[in-house]
Amino acid sequence: MQSTIKPSRFSLARRESLWAYAFITPWILGFLIFTVGPMLASLFFSFTSYDIVNPPRWIGLTNYTTLIHDELFWHSLGVTFKYAVIALPLGLVFSYLVAVLLNQNVRGINVWRTIYFIPSVIAGVAVALLWARIFDPKFGILNPLLERIGIQGPGWLSDPQWAVPALVIMSLWSVGGNIIIYLAGLQGVPTDLYDAAKVDGATAWQRFRHVTLPMTTPVIFYNLILGLIGTFQYFTEVYVLTNGSGNPARATLFYNLYLYQNAFRYFHMGYASTMAWVLFLIVLGFTLLIFRSSETWVYYEGQLRGR
Amino acid sequence: MKNNLFKALTLILLVSIFLSGCGGNVAATQAPAEKVKVVIFVGMGTGTDPDQVEAQNQLAEKFNSTHDDIEIEFLIVPHEEYATRYLAMLSGGNAPQLVGPNGVSTVAEFFDTWEDITPYIEADKLDLSDFYGPAVELNQYPDKNTGLPLGLYPSYLYYNKDLFDAAGLDYPTHDFEDTSWNMDKLREVAMQLTLDANGKNATDPDFDPENIVQYGYDDSWDGMRATLADWGAENVGRPTTSDYKTAVANSPEWVQGLQWMSDGVWKDHFIGSAEVQAGRDSAGVDPFGPGTTAMFYSYTWFLAEGLHDLSFSADIAPFPYNPKGERIARIDADNFTIPKDAEHKQEAWEVMKWLTSPEIIVDVCRIYGCIPARKSVQENFLETLQTDYPGIDYDVIFKSIDYLDKPNHEEWIPEWGKIEDALNNGLSIMYSGEEKDAAKILDDSNAEVQKILDDYWAANP
Repeated sequence: MQSTIKPSRFSLARRESLWAYAFITPWILGFLIFTVGPMLASLFFSFTSYDIVNPPRWIGLTNYTTLIHDELFWHSLGVTFKYAVIALPLGLVFSYLVAVLLNQNVRGINVWRTIYFIPSVIAGVAVALLWARIFDPKFGILNPLLERIGIQGPGWLSDPQWAVPALVIMSLWSVGGNIIIYLAGLQGVPTDLYDAAKVDGATAWQRFRHVTLPMTTPVIFYNLILGLIGTFQYFTEVYVLTNGSGNPARATLFYNLYLYQNAFRYFHMGYASTMAWVLFLIVLGFTLLIFRSSETWVYYEGQLRGR
Repeated sequence: MKNNLFKALTLILLVSIFLSGCGGNVAATQAPAEKVKVVIFVGMGTGTDPDQVEAQNQLAEKFNSTHDDIEIEFLIVPHEEYATRYLAMLSGGNAPQLVGPNGVSTVAEFFDTWEDITPYIEADKLDLSDFYGPAVELNQYPDKNTGLPLGLYPSYLYYNKDLFDAAGLDYPTHDFEDTSWNMDKLREVAMQLTLDANGKNATDPDFDPENIVQYGYDDSWDGMRATLADWGAENVGRPTTSDYKTAVANSPEWVQGLQWMSDGVWKDHFIGSAEVQAGRDSAGVDPFGPGTTAMFYSYTWFLAEGLHDLSFSADIAPFPYNPKGERIARIDADNFTIPKDAEHKQEAWEVMKWLTSPEIIVDVCRIYGCIPARKSVQENFLETLQTDYPGIDYDVIFKSIDYLDKPNHEEWIPEWGKIEDALNNGLSIMYSGEEKDAAKILDDSNAEVQKILDDYWAANP
């Protein structure tokens, strides 16, 4: 009896590849249309004078040279760096320490983990409004608490000297995402390493320093990269708190806020696109530096050095 | 078998998508001639409160039930998103047919996007004489008329009668001819109405400025141009010369006005600082409503926003004379504008005429809280004011129109938003106490404005 099954023109591997491409096509299309397309468009706009109303006009590198002489560009970059230098390490250390605490085997630990994670699922706008109340010098809860220990609290969001520190404090509210990632990393540390260290007489601090910390450097590295990108893109909270102004006295004029002002308030869409690409290059540069440095401080158990 | 089933289901899905896509077109071709839709973009100014949304929907029903060829729809956009949403619609080739209510500021902000309505006015031979002259002038620029006037929002002082009574002070005069009601007098009265936690007022040597519980005066809801427009500078509310090429933000009158404000905050203590304002903002309250500000300088639109459910008696009084012996009471105004990229501009024009017609303008202004820009409906509108806000001196509202600021504090200038932000940064520096010397602040602001103007004219010779 002859088989009725026709032989396929394609091999099994080829057919599987075709199906795989078919399934990822929606994502690829979305990526091309909604990510790559706008990126290329903004790269083009960065070489133009474009106000949305009129067609873009090619001006070459003018936006880039203007940027170099724009005092507010440097000011906003400075504000962002200032925030990044304080908020990024503080957030990484704080969330790591909380994760270590939440990794202890104590009663009700899941409840504690939930409590610490909940704030990170609250939208940035709501967080900003909540903290605006907390920071209120007269009616908020922060300054009265400080007064109890003899400290005269500042006008957190109205004093140019304290506005960025206030935003740094606010950022600690949303470290739940980092904590979850750290927790996953901490729980992935093989227990036999701790057992071996104990047998060798290592103290709790030595076990943390020489086992926990090195074994979790990949997740620290991951959080550092994401934190860096997030910090340089800081926008929502400061936009809500200052009504888009960057005040008091431009103390909170972050890079992205100034970019937004140029795009949607001054209609300098070409200039804003230039700012976006410069920001991309800055973040890319820092990311590459961190990647390069990771060879000296990030430990991958399955990785052979030099490969 | 499974493979065939999958193919069949996929085919059915694709066919159904195709047919459903075609369905709309089939129905459309069979439907009777459709009305032209005029989308009215609301969100640049007032109009987004829930009760206003409902009232606008009723207004749309009223229009749609009486017009066979045009249908209107109000597109309500959150105020915080108005710029991004409007620009997204423009750049997407989907411009709304009408935008409004538009203040002078948002007309200026998007100035290049508006259609000149002069040809429409001329084609219809529309008589503008019923509109208040200043209202028409506020929409008339050298190269275009941006819209028919809808409403005016004159400014004056809202005052808390209970606080005046408690202090044993006379209420501010309502007599527009009384020149003794000037900025010095305002300062004097405001200091007497500023109290610390011990009940001592700001004129008392034992007054404690660290524990102020009641302020005499507030003008914190406006920017630098507005705050200083009343001080009698040659360019009034405009920080440039009339050719827009030279910055004049450090004029002696503006310096005097800002120093008066700075002293009011930091020396005389009758005006709340940035810290006080931030506290109110975070609590979501206006300066007047909580009853801890004796006099609040604002506009007619504050009637709708802030004069409901007060726990105290309130009235309104004219803004004082400035040191030059002039009274300037800045004014806001609203209109509807047609984006020049919009489709169906003729229909948009018809809707604009309807919204500002004598028969409808009172209803529209009741929604938005403005004084109708037509003289013929003043009596009619007065009756609605008496119903909505009994017990205040309506004469103050109408008479204040005569003292408007011209050039207006929101009027278009090159790089409008950028210069606004530069000036308001100066105001923020004063309110935050970073710098208290008005001359220094305005010299710096003026240099920044000049740089912006120079860059603008270099790029647009």
